[in-house]
Amino acid sequence: MLNSQRSLSELPKMSAASQVERAVLEEEFNWLLREEVHAVLKQLQDVLKEASRRFSIPSPGLESQLKQENFILGSSSMDQVKGVLTLQGEALTQADINLKVAKSSQTMHFQFREDKQWKLQQIQDARNHVNQALQLLSSHDESYHFKTGTEVNKLMDAVMLQLTRARNRLTTPASLTLPELATSGLMKMFSPPMPGDVMVNFYINLSKLCLMVYQLHVLPPNTTKNFKHAGSSVLHNPGAMFELNNNRFEVSHVHKVECVVPWLNDTLVFLTISLQLCQQLKDKISVFSSFWSYRPF
Amino acid sequence: MSGNSLVLPIVLWGRTAPTHCISTLLVMDDFSTIITGCHDGQICLWDMTSDLEICPRAMLFGHTASITCLSKASACSDKQYIVSASESGEMCLWDVNDGRCIEFTKLACTHTGIQFYQFTIGTQREGRLLSNGLYPEILVMDATSLEVLYSLVSKISPDWISSMSIIRSHRTQEDTVVAMSVTGILKVWIITAEVSRMQDLDPVFEEESKPVYCQGCQSISFCTFTQRSLLVICSKYWRVFDAADYSLLCSVPSDNDQSWTGGEFIAADKVIIWTEDGCSYVYKLPPSEHFRSHVGKTKESLVPPLIYKIAERSDKELLICPPVTRFFFGRREPFHKLLIQGDSAGQLSLWSIPDSTPQQPLSAAAELQVSSTISLQEAFDKLTPVSAGIIDQLSVLPSKEEPIKVTASVYIPSQGRLVCGREDGSIILVPATQTAIVQLLQGEHMLRRGWPPHRTLRGHRNKVTCVLYPYQISPRYDQRSLVSGGVDFSVIVWDIFTGEMKHIFCVHGGEITQLIVPPENCSTRVQHCVCSVASDHSVGLLSLRERKCIMLASRHLFPIHVVKWRPADDYLVVGCSDGSVYVWQMDTGALDRCVMGITAVEILNACDELAPATVDALSHSAVNLKQAMTRRSLAALKNMAQHKLQTLATNLLAADNADKGNLPKYSHNALVVQAMKTNLTDPDMHVLFFDVEAVIIQLLTEEAQRPNPTLVSPETLQKSQAGADKGGSFLANKIFKQVKETMKETIKEHLLDEDEEEEEEMRRREEKSKSLSLLEYNLTMDTAKLFMSCLHAWGLNEQLDNICLERLGMLRPHCPISFGLISRGGHMSLMLPTFKESLLRQLSLATGLKLTLSDIVGKGTYGVSRAVTTQHLLSVISLANTLMGMTNATFVGEHMKKAPARPPRPGGTPESPRRMQATPPQPSNPALQAQIKQAAVAATANTGTVTTAAGPPGAPGAPPQGAPGSPSPGPALNVPSVNEGWSQLAAMHCVMLPDLLGLDKFRPPLLEMLARRWQDRCLEVREAAQALLLAELRRIGVSGRKDTIDMWASYLPQYVDTVSSPGSTSEAPSPAPPPPDAQPIETKASEEEMDVVDDDITTGSLVRYNVLVSLLVMLHIRCCCCYCYSYYYYCYCYYSYSYYYYSYYYWYYYCYYSYSYSYYYYCYYYCYYSYSYYYYYYYY
Repeated sequence: MLNSQRSLSELPKMSAASQVERAVLEEEFNWLLREEVHAVLKQLQDVLKEASRRFSIPSPGLESQLKQENFILGSSSMDQVKGVLTLQGEALTQADINLKVAKSSQTMHFQFREDKQWKLQQIQDARNHVNQALQLLSSHDESYHFKTGTEVNKLMDAVMLQLTRARNRLTTPASLTLPELATSGLMKMFSPPMPGDVMVNFYINLSKLCLMVYQLHVLPPNTTKNFKHAGSSVLHNPGAMFELNNNRFEVSHVHKVECVVPWLNDTLVFLTISLQLCQQLKDKISVFSSFWSYRPF
Repeated sequence: MSGNSLVLPIVLWGRTAPTHCISTLLVMDDFSTIITGCHDGQICLWDMTSDLEICPRAMLFGHTASITCLSKASACSDKQYIVSASESGEMCLWDVNDGRCIEFTKLACTHTGIQFYQFTIGTQREGRLLSNGLYPEILVMDATSLEVLYSLVSKISPDWISSMSIIRSHRTQEDTVVAMSVTGILKVWIITAEVSRMQDLDPVFEEESKPVYCQGCQSISFCTFTQRSLLVICSKYWRVFDAADYSLLCSVPSDNDQSWTGGEFIAADKVIIWTEDGCSYVYKLPPSEHFRSHVGKTKESLVPPLIYKIAERSDKELLICPPVTRFFFGRREPFHKLLIQGDSAGQLSLWSIPDSTPQQPLSAAAELQVSSTISLQEAFDKLTPVSAGIIDQLSVLPSKEEPIKVTASVYIPSQGRLVCGREDGSIILVPATQTAIVQLLQGEHMLRRGWPPHRTLRGHRNKVTCVLYPYQISPRYDQRSLVSGGVDFSVIVWDIFTGEMKHIFCVHGGEITQLIVPPENCSTRVQHCVCSVASDHSVGLLSLRERKCIMLASRHLFPIHVVKWRPADDYLVVGCSDGSVYVWQMDTGALDRCVMGITAVEILNACDELAPATVDALSHSAVNLKQAMTRRSLAALKNMAQHKLQTLATNLLAADNADKGNLPKYSHNALVVQAMKTNLTDPDMHVLFFDVEAVIIQLLTEEAQRPNPTLVSPETLQKSQAGADKGGSFLANKIFKQVKETMKETIKEHLLDEDEEEEEEMRRREEKSKSLSLLEYNLTMDTAKLFMSCLHAWGLNEQLDNICLERLGMLRPHCPISFGLISRGGHMSLMLPTFKESLLRQLSLATGLKLTLSDIVGKGTYGVSRAVTTQHLLSVISLANTLMGMTNATFVGEHMKKAPARPPRPGGTPESPRRMQATPPQPSNPALQAQIKQAAVAATANTGTVTTAAGPPGAPGAPPQGAPGSPSPGPALNVPSVNEGWSQLAAMHCVMLPDLLGLDKFRPPLLEMLARRWQDRCLEVREAAQALLLAELRRIGVSGRKDTIDMWASYLPQYVDTVSSPGSTSEAPSPAPPPPDAQPIETKASEEEMDVVDDDITTGSLVRYNVLVSLLVMLHIRCCCCYCYSYYYYCYCYYSYSYYYYSYYYWYYYCYYSYSYSYYYYCYYYCYYSYSYYYYYYYY
């Protein structure tokens, strides 16, 4: 790589030495296309297969055979909210939420209804993106002969798009407005039914499974407090206001508890590694392509 | 909004066709248009003839990411709409005929497939778009508003939908959606009437969900011939299922590591399947009875016979990604069955699939030959003359064929100069209008080599990748400095006036990719920096004042995607392509933070909130274009257009001073040259944006500043000139003069370099002319000259053409010019240079004559599309009117060489009229005038009679009878011939064009677009729109007007319907409802005044005009305002008033043809007077 840069500055002279260097560079580039690219692609495939293995894909008909994992969500500092969630593949099959309301000492207890489970769309999307990236890579196996650097770049771009999306799906949860949250199907999944002044949300943030609990209080209709709709956000702060069915609500308490999902952490690491591999390959190509685009005038 | 002002783009594509790496394609139902989308986000429209000749016509810009899918979006053939979706979730509805963007929207999710379907609900059919993509639902959208109406969701194992198909079952008479999820589960939804009517977002659950074990499904399709089988293509095999119970009928694996990517039924018993690398195979399925008897015992080995094979082509070597293959069959004559393939080189290949099976034994599959193939570059290469690039004449080296490519450019509007960095490392500075004139128009400049005068900056060793003129963005920078970056890793600072290289920065370890100006409120040290981004993923702050790099933020792992600022915290925020964000302290150069995920998004968003203007997305040229478009038309013009001549000049000066601090310099420029590239590796192509409103204002300003030699002293003139010259102060002028001397020297040198053996005398003459016009050419007039020459419909009226050439100084274009059309939200359609080929073919077909290219120069563009015609006619008429109002506004003569307000040189002023006298070749002026006048009157009379014949007797005929009576021939002879020339030009475009061109070559203007300009803020444009609207209404005759009313009536509120229905009497509309309480007394007065005038003209059809006009205007208002109700009321008032008003306008209109200028102006002002009331009313 260093060679090529040095020769770049010497090329205008077009001396005999640079001619030789040019030939060497060309050989080096051919080696890159022939050997190195495939080596990187192989490595990428291995890493991604490993990542894809972490998302246990439900094969049709065999859903029940998926491994169930229990996660206990809580924090050491506060004990108002505690949750036990069961994750099976990409779906939460069971949930146990204990909520201690500040004003009364009683504990509220909610569970998923028997017939319901909550799909974590983030995990499904990430899995599908990883699989699409794998599919792209598998179409160019050892026997395929890359002819140009652009071809490799194009493939890398496509792969990186999928990988970035997969990672972004896990690292950036969907931001929702409070009314969207209140009307989502999640509220109807519990038994006993959620009271009107409590809202919950599940999401993945990085490798953590998060549970948000919002406690609301109804604003009196003739309140003098200046009412402002809260926008969409992943995490709404106390004081956020919204309107639903002609009632105005304000968030009074926010509780967030989380728990690390080990295999999600692995997946994220794999995704980061493969993204870097892709970028490094692109950088290698770009050193040469800037050299090839050079035309002495 | 850019959609509001009248801006016309002209494109100079250059010889290299834009990169068009096809990602998806579509053939319209009538097989006359192919549409391709590419990975860079552009959409290309290709015309196809019935014998499968293809020619690219236009390119649509607006998407910022790769196009993922295209679909038709309307059922009827007269209104051809398509919808496109991109990787970033944008959706856009386009009109195929003219490339207008009708509607656009953006969702957070990416669509990978869209299908149009008309659901039948009772007797009604409603167009819907169904989309699937990277989400587990199928979204159902309205096909005209692109609003999501409801979604189809799955209850059982929901997952992404990889493909879907919609069918109307004969058995159940219900619309059925069949889809395959990525995990291989077949899902069926039934759309019932109740579902279709549903408006809220309640989900619709699937009717059936069946695992069919098809992993990696690529596409599914129904057999439309029998409706009994379903074809499912997976990458490793394809299968046929029974459409009723989804039982497997046959399965064919792919051989030797090829993967199937798609397929279709081409007949009841034949399927075509294609692979990723572009081969296709036609299989014959067993007869269906036989087929179905085998259900359940299908053997894998039972492969249906292969009958045709379409091999990949040998020249596929250089493809960089898999080609896209699609199959389409015509449901109408000539029943084409076409297999179309688009590849990464922008090439389309067509195969016509025969219905018959080959005669030979079935064991050997017959090879099918390609029917037609063309690539964008081939189409460009075939053109004669070749498609022009903006500085081609300066870039062709003597030894080489191809010009040196322009790789980066920036336009400096204040000086009217274009800076072009080229691939050989040189930078060229050239007057933009002059070089555009060379490229587009014929004239004496063709004889001069090296014209226009330019200067070359040499310093970069290799390709220049970016150029920045910081002063244009903020006045805190030195007016002289120009910054450029190259692939040789260096950033060079130039003095543009001396051509001196001031400093070379070599701080980066990679090609410079972008140069950015930091925002206003940074620390003083940073304020004098430019920010450079390089391909080694580093960002540098280069101080132009200190001539050193004050900070280098490097070692980012991924390419830099965006650079943002937090000036208050002294932070530079770098967003990388993988989503990570690096926060750097500008002062210390320390890395403050490196974050990912939500925090990263939040940090980037926080920067936007603080300073929305400082966002610089590096990713895509289309984004930059959009920004440029929005920036250009700022509020500065808004009020000015409504003022009249005298006040305008002072206002402009005041506004200019006031705005200096906060408005971009180029916010009100008649001409903006924008460099664009569809792909980073492409050379620049240049789009010249003409803002008609700004041209008019600048012309009027100059007119107002025109010196009256007896009254004005040179000093004041100097001052006003300095102010009017928007870029320069008085000091700057001095510098210009100095610089001019040095530049003259360099040019001399340059010339000596290039043309050594050129004749001595010739050279001297050239130098003389160059030194004259080096910096002193009149930018405004030059712009107007270029613009008018491009717009005029040449070759329709010999005499008028001569007047244009010789008296008005216009120039004839070399060949038809590629225009563009800007529509909503900065979406843009640009004609490819090859459009003329297809236009020629189309016109030849229509007229039955063999036409050559020169036959359609100028006038050809009026046959392209109705929207284009509207824009062009509006521009040409409003500009001609403006020029007509100016004194001696001609493009020939000395005054073109310098600004008009400059104090006249001794002997200078008398010379120009003398020259003018000398130039006309005709022996006698009055004789010619008489001729022209006769012709014009004849033409007017002609159109008059035509309409009389078409319309009811006496109705439209009445005004023409009055017309000859009103003008007195006396004043016409005293009028300067230049003005008369302009008036004839305007008249020809306003009324005579349809007759002169004939309807097969003329696409009439769109009434609704004209109605939208009815209250345009620029008076000239408004008048042009009104005159055109009237002319058009008259042209379409009674039946046409009736059709228009019928078409629009359904969109109107109920109580107007009674009035507007065509069958009703031609009485005046019912009196206006009581006016709002604060109505001024003046309005009443004017009403009465107009009543008097109204009595003069009594025609029945007039009222119908009024109805139509007001109808259109109302419709427009209704479209614009969401809160309609309050507006209805005002519409109503407006409606009744337009009656009076219109009758008056009609009168004015006819005066227009009479060459009596006094009369004309009288009417003109009278109309203006009445306008003000309307304005009051309208805005009240």
